[in-house]
Amino acid sequence: MSAPARGIETVELPEMPSLSRLYVGAAREAAKKLVGKGKGRATLPAARHHVTGVLPDLVKMTEYQALLSETKLDIAPAGYLHALSFPAAMSVMGRDDFPLPLLGMVHLRNHVEYRKPVLYRDLLDVTAWAEGLIGHRAGTQVDVVTEVRHAGSDDVVWRGVSTYLAKGVFLPSVDKPRVAEPREEFRAPLPTALWRLGSETGREYAAVSGDFNPIHLSSISARALGMRRSIAHGMYTASRALAEVGAQKGDAFAWDVKFEAPVFLPARVCLNIGDSTDAHGAWVHSAFVGWSPTSGRRHFVGSVERL
Amino acid sequence: MTDKYTAFVSRGWGRDLAKRLGLPQPVALRRYAADERLPGPALVVGSGPSAQALADALEGWGVEVRRDGADDGGASPEAGSDGARRPKLGAIILVLDDVEGPEGLSAPVLAAGRALRSLAACGRVVTVSRRASAADEPSLAAARQGVEGILRSLAKELRSGSTANGILLAEGVGADAPSVLGALRFLLSGRSAFVDGQFLTVGTDGGALPLDPDRPLAGKVAVVTGAARGIGASIARTLGRDGAKVVAVDVPAAGESLARVANEVHGTALQLDITRTDAGERILEHAVGRHGRLDIVVHNAGITRDKLLANMDAAKWDSVIAVNIAAQLRINDALLASDHFGDGAHIVSVSSTSGIAGNRGQTNYAASKAGVVGMVRSTAARLAARGGTVNAVAPGFIETEMTAKIPFATREVARRLNSLQQGGLPVDVAEAIAFLASDAAGGISGNVLRVCGQNLVGQ
Amino acid sequence: MSTVRKAVVVGGNRIPFARSNGAYAMSSNLDMLTAALDGLVARYGLQDERIGELAAGAVLKHSRDFNLTREAVLGSSLSPETPAYDVQQACATGLETVLGLSDKIKLGRIESAIAGGVDSASDAPIVVSEGLRHALLELNRAKTLQQKLKAVSKIRPKDVTPVAPGTNEPRTGLSMGEHQALTTVQWNVTREAQDELALASHRNLAEAYERGFFDDLVTPYRGLTRDSNLRADTSLEKLAKLKTVFGRQLGDRATMTAGNSTPLTDGASTVLLASEDWAQSRDLPILADVVDGEAAAVDFVHGKDGLLMAPVFAVARLLGRLGLTFEDIDYFEIHEAFAGTVLSHLAAWEDEEFCRERLGLDGALGKVDRAKLNVNGSSLAAGHPFAATGGRIVASLAKQLHERGEVDGRPARGLISVCAAGGLGVAAVLEAR
Repeated sequence: MSAPARGIETVELPEMPSLSRLYVGAAREAAKKLVGKGKGRATLPAARHHVTGVLPDLVKMTEYQALLSETKLDIAPAGYLHALSFPAAMSVMGRDDFPLPLLGMVHLRNHVEYRKPVLYRDLLDVTAWAEGLIGHRAGTQVDVVTEVRHAGSDDVVWRGVSTYLAKGVFLPSVDKPRVAEPREEFRAPLPTALWRLGSETGREYAAVSGDFNPIHLSSISARALGMRRSIAHGMYTASRALAEVGAQKGDAFAWDVKFEAPVFLPARVCLNIGDSTDAHGAWVHSAFVGWSPTSGRRHFVGSVERL
Repeated sequence: MTDKYTAFVSRGWGRDLAKRLGLPQPVALRRYAADERLPGPALVVGSGPSAQALADALEGWGVEVRRDGADDGGASPEAGSDGARRPKLGAIILVLDDVEGPEGLSAPVLAAGRALRSLAACGRVVTVSRRASAADEPSLAAARQGVEGILRSLAKELRSGSTANGILLAEGVGADAPSVLGALRFLLSGRSAFVDGQFLTVGTDGGALPLDPDRPLAGKVAVVTGAARGIGASIARTLGRDGAKVVAVDVPAAGESLARVANEVHGTALQLDITRTDAGERILEHAVGRHGRLDIVVHNAGITRDKLLANMDAAKWDSVIAVNIAAQLRINDALLASDHFGDGAHIVSVSSTSGIAGNRGQTNYAASKAGVVGMVRSTAARLAARGGTVNAVAPGFIETEMTAKIPFATREVARRLNSLQQGGLPVDVAEAIAFLASDAAGGISGNVLRVCGQNLVGQ
Repeated sequence: MSTVRKAVVVGGNRIPFARSNGAYAMSSNLDMLTAALDGLVARYGLQDERIGELAAGAVLKHSRDFNLTREAVLGSSLSPETPAYDVQQACATGLETVLGLSDKIKLGRIESAIAGGVDSASDAPIVVSEGLRHALLELNRAKTLQQKLKAVSKIRPKDVTPVAPGTNEPRTGLSMGEHQALTTVQWNVTREAQDELALASHRNLAEAYERGFFDDLVTPYRGLTRDSNLRADTSLEKLAKLKTVFGRQLGDRATMTAGNSTPLTDGASTVLLASEDWAQSRDLPILADVVDGEAAAVDFVHGKDGLLMAPVFAVARLLGRLGLTFEDIDYFEIHEAFAGTVLSHLAAWEDEEFCRERLGLDGALGKVDRAKLNVNGSSLAAGHPFAATGGRIVASLAKQLHERGEVDGRPARGLISVCAAGGLGVAAVLEAR
């Protein structure tokens, strides 16, 4: 996946775009779409956004590690690289020719392959694009792919696929929504950990990740977007679960998470992590699931697997 | 616990005021210190061999001795115009063991009387005489018994912290017997500060004077019950000061204070309820097991549960008897049954003036404390057979946490109702016990020594 | 190197354990450890004695108490020339100090030692929030006024709220009780069984006090003469009425109450250890030999084993090394962090599959004779000032063994196990003298 496919334009961004500017643009766009009822375009932009020479910010990375209870190693946590590359992904979704409204998109799933360790002093190239526009029973979903390489190298060291749902947006000529999958019944296992998430959780993660989506920041800003209270970033919960899988996951792993019921703040979240090992006792895989001890609803479920 | 009144009238205008108003004028008593000295020379009144023996002993202790006997013409060196230039006397030793009839008392007693004006503050008068017995000729018995009357009256005449006490010699005991000298030294010393108007009877010439008079209990192992606080703690400290290895015993509930006392005296703490049936065995086991021997047991632990007899219940009565006397009897039985407690062993039990004179609201307590007196007399013979002694001390009004709780007016009256016009200190009781627990008192057994400043009640 | 010799228990002393915010609310760890130490000095006449070494510790410790044990020595009647060091192994601190110092005695490095532990849940350190702490540290580093203002500007109102220390496991966020609640369910331990164990603990402790067993093990402190958690009059009916406090999310599977869990407690304990020569030359009693000890840890973070299950492994390994079985043990002292903990341990040792697969044994380790279990009461009744529990157990067991003397021609033998936070567990074997 080094060279882009034919007919796809590579847009070189001079630097990592500003997320706040992207959010402002998105808000303006949202207002326009309310008026114009959308552009009705049913194709994704044939463009890849590329930023070269991206350097992790050691201070931000350290703050990230502290917040997520990651050991403060020189290796960038997988979730930090998601946060670092997120503006590139956002810039794709913020394009005028992106068919779905950026604001109000729901993060359904996130899959990351962290193939080789990235150190905080490594210069990186980031590429992001959108693909897999398909119908969903509740709207339209899209995958945003982000790849991270060491600067000038062809080898992808980190690859993330974030699946978003534009709720209530149905595009013409996109596959009809499938019949709803039968919901698997969730029976909570015994917890192995308990999180006590304060109302500041969203603001704290926003500060280290740069993702200042208003639905995470305060109950007031969340209510402005139709939420009853602010909700925890999905990537916060997934990253914390990843951190708690611990050092056994090594330097190369796949990390997958499906987001379900949102975590309204403040909240107590029960977590169960189950490890599996090979015949020699070496770690192979950890499954994790988070749920609400009060409602019993599942917030997220995922896994970490040796690569 | 401080007696502010005594401090007030001891110096300055407070002293003058008290004198003018005729108020009691207690003085700060002379108490023991390692380098203590008599406040002046000792006058030995008497001309017989006993007087000579005692004068020799005093000189051996470094005391300056004056003599007043028939031999040097009967003229008192203290009388006359030159009396003022002479230093005050520290003590008057009145040796009367050779009187044969009441008429014989006149010369020596009056000689002593002439010397009284020269007696320094906190001075001492000590009589040495023979114990009256039913076997004596009537006139001899009258003379000997007469000494008791003289001494007790004289004690009440002394002022300024001076005391008068007597040593009674049993038949066959010479004035140079170890315990006569031991008792004399105790009575002259600050150790007997609050002992006044009392007699110590030396029954045998047993006992031995210490090599080091400042550490008379060196090498001894002593058990003190009720050692966590008050008089018991003071006993532990005094025995420790005198050289004993102290096993401090008290109920487990008093363990915190007990540990502090044990650590202070470099002894060991034994948390033990002395009413346990095996208390004596446990005491022996601890003392012998940990310190290799047991020489001294001080039965100090005691409780009060005061009620008028009309209102007394069994619990109050029985608990006082159980702790104050029954436990002592049981422990003594264990001691007497042990091979580790015999030759040179000393038991000292704490009685009370309440047990001697009685006290309203204390029938139970007085029963136990009078019981101690009976126990001591009875046990003395048994222990004598094994070479040990048993004695009791009966404290009067002692300034303790307990007496500090007495209402002010009652307390003021109680503490002045004695010849020294003040309450004693726990250490005064402890000193008397330490003496009776020493080998210097090895010829003294079955005595009850009051430490009461010659309380006006009782004997 | 000299040959290995014996390390013996001479005796012990502790202060009564007090429920937190009770009798010792105003006493610090240093106060309590010094009091326990002075009681030991008084019992054994160690005034001005230069002890080979002292080791003690506290689980909840103020930063100012960085040299807690040494400070206690300086405040005690021991010789100020007695060296000391602090140990911290959560609730196993006390037992670990006994084992570590015993090893030093066995190796001939020291002749005498005092092991101990103390904890105060009442006088626990309160720390400032992370936000305030970081800002203050930055302020400390700042050189210019501008840097200082910047540091101060980072303090948020919520940062000013002080933070009390939790007993939550750092890696799971679950309290010890919540962890045990899960283990209790996993091992199918019933509420009734837990309440019965709690009742036995109270009865045994009360009975031991009544017969004077603790007369030479406990020195009163601050007006307390017995452990304030002791309820001599409790009953199964009373215990059955208590509400569950841990594992509430388990619904009707929740069984752990305030009655079958230990309360937060304040207290301190000490144990006098020595070589045989040292004890004999001072005419001190010898109660027991410290035979051997073993520490274990479990991977509890993702629930492979319960947080407090490490003693199951420590005991199995220790007995294996000594060639002993449960039949050879006359007294079992299994620290009652929770009734569920003890019963989970017993269940695991009786479980053939678990013992085969996890302990590597041929079959079940065995059944613990309940008549030999915690015969003088344990933490459910006495309370559990974390680091002080090991010393309490060692001194009490040593005395019990000494009183028992011989069993079938061999010295009476006791097994101790103590579970601890972080998935730790320590076990030890003592033998009567």
